[in-house]
Amino acid sequence: MKKSFINFFALLLVIAANTGGFAQKLITKTGNIKFQASMPSYEEVAAESKSVSAVLDQTTGDFASLVLIKGFRFKVALMEEHFNENYMESEKFPKATFKGKIEDFDSSKITASPKNFTLKGELTIHGKTKPVSVIVKISKAQNGVKTIGSFEVKPEDFAIEIPSLVRKKIADKIEIDYNFLLIK
Amino acid sequence: MKKILVPFCLFLVTLAYSQDDLLKSLDSTQIEDSYSTATFKALQLVTLQTTKMPAKKEFYFVVSHRFGSVKDGFDSFFGLDNATTKLGGIYGVTDWLSVSLSRHTLNKMYEIGLKYRMARQNDNFPLDIVGYSVADINTFLEKDQYPGLEFKHRMTYVQQLLISRKVSDKFSLELVPSFIHKNLYTPEIERDNQFSFGGGGRYKITKRLSVNLEYMHNFDKPDFYKNPLSVGLDIETGGHIFQLIFTNSQSMSESGYLTNASGDWGKGDFFFGFNLYRVF
Repeated sequence: MKKSFINFFALLLVIAANTGGFAQKLITKTGNIKFQASMPSYEEVAAESKSVSAVLDQTTGDFASLVLIKGFRFKVALMEEHFNENYMESEKFPKATFKGKIEDFDSSKITASPKNFTLKGELTIHGKTKPVSVIVKISKAQNGVKTIGSFEVKPEDFAIEIPSLVRKKIADKIEIDYNFLLIK
Repeated sequence: MKKILVPFCLFLVTLAYSQDDLLKSLDSTQIEDSYSTATFKALQLVTLQTTKMPAKKEFYFVVSHRFGSVKDGFDSFFGLDNATTKLGGIYGVTDWLSVSLSRHTLNKMYEIGLKYRMARQNDNFPLDIVGYSVADINTFLEKDQYPGLEFKHRMTYVQQLLISRKVSDKFSLELVPSFIHKNLYTPEIERDNQFSFGGGGRYKITKRLSVNLEYMHNFDKPDFYKNPLSVGLDIETGGHIFQLIFTNSQSMSESGYLTNASGDWGKGDFFFGFNLYRVF
């Protein structure tokens, strides 16, 4: 009798863990990611997506984000086409994703002034996954939190091939800036 | 004790999977458009137009050469002594409409073109359909030669429908029904109204190289001229598209290309050339 009660209690706990967090999720569908791969004195290689999705589970600090490669806008349309066709192969790999956890996240500690947290997880671009650890600045916003930060990636880490002809025109390290306003 | 373990493990499993679930929950938030892009690398297949459109406010500068026939060998350095040039610009008014203007050495021709997209290939529609309307103005004709010459005699019109399909990542096909009207023509060797039908395709041999082939059959053509058959190689070099070309039709104006092919592949009488595009 006692055992089955414990069992029942444990089961409740499982259900609570699965559903309880639901109300605590903060989400955006209009997050912003910019990347900058320009080299000085060469044509600008940069793009921006304003339709990034991201979600944060406030109870656990779990965080996930998804962006469609075709959603990145360049100044030059032909560059955008080549980015999709030859570099990112967006028909084969339509999206880039991140899943991970904000370490020691505690929603009660978030204030209006930005606070640094460590975000650890797995970044998937061009079908390749790599563990990453980045600093994220989190501040309180109306109905949610604002997360901003920046980090660098190397194209070769994600098997993005850069032909020798344009090697000089594209930075070795590509800077990625993100800005998400996550709300209830 | 054993019985407690089971739900406890279950609890651990749910924790481990929650990040994945979080990511999965985002899938439905993003709707991807299914339009086919990069069906062709350049605005031209070889000399024919492709269904590719310049983007809004995009300006293309185009320089093309067709050299003389290679059949003369070293005499004209395989035709390189007798280059004809096309200089032009193409501007994307909107994503579905572009205007072009070019000047051709051959017949001192000016060409004005309008290109407009009518349909795009996506999950629900299998084809790209683009209209191309061209007016050629021949300024080579002299009043001394033709005393009754009026401005309208300088005009030639071409109306084309460009229909393409990106069959796979590497392979794209295009069909091109064309109607040509000439205000001035030599009745012994050609007609004022001509219908020409054909097309071509491209095959990507690497990410940045593709081989293109095109052929147009003219249904209103006496024997004097040939049908144009051309082969090209697209080379993508960052902001440039470079197209190397071998063709039996030297003209780069739409009407000249379709109706006045003078070379004969079978006799080694063909022309070397290139198209160079720069985007601004």
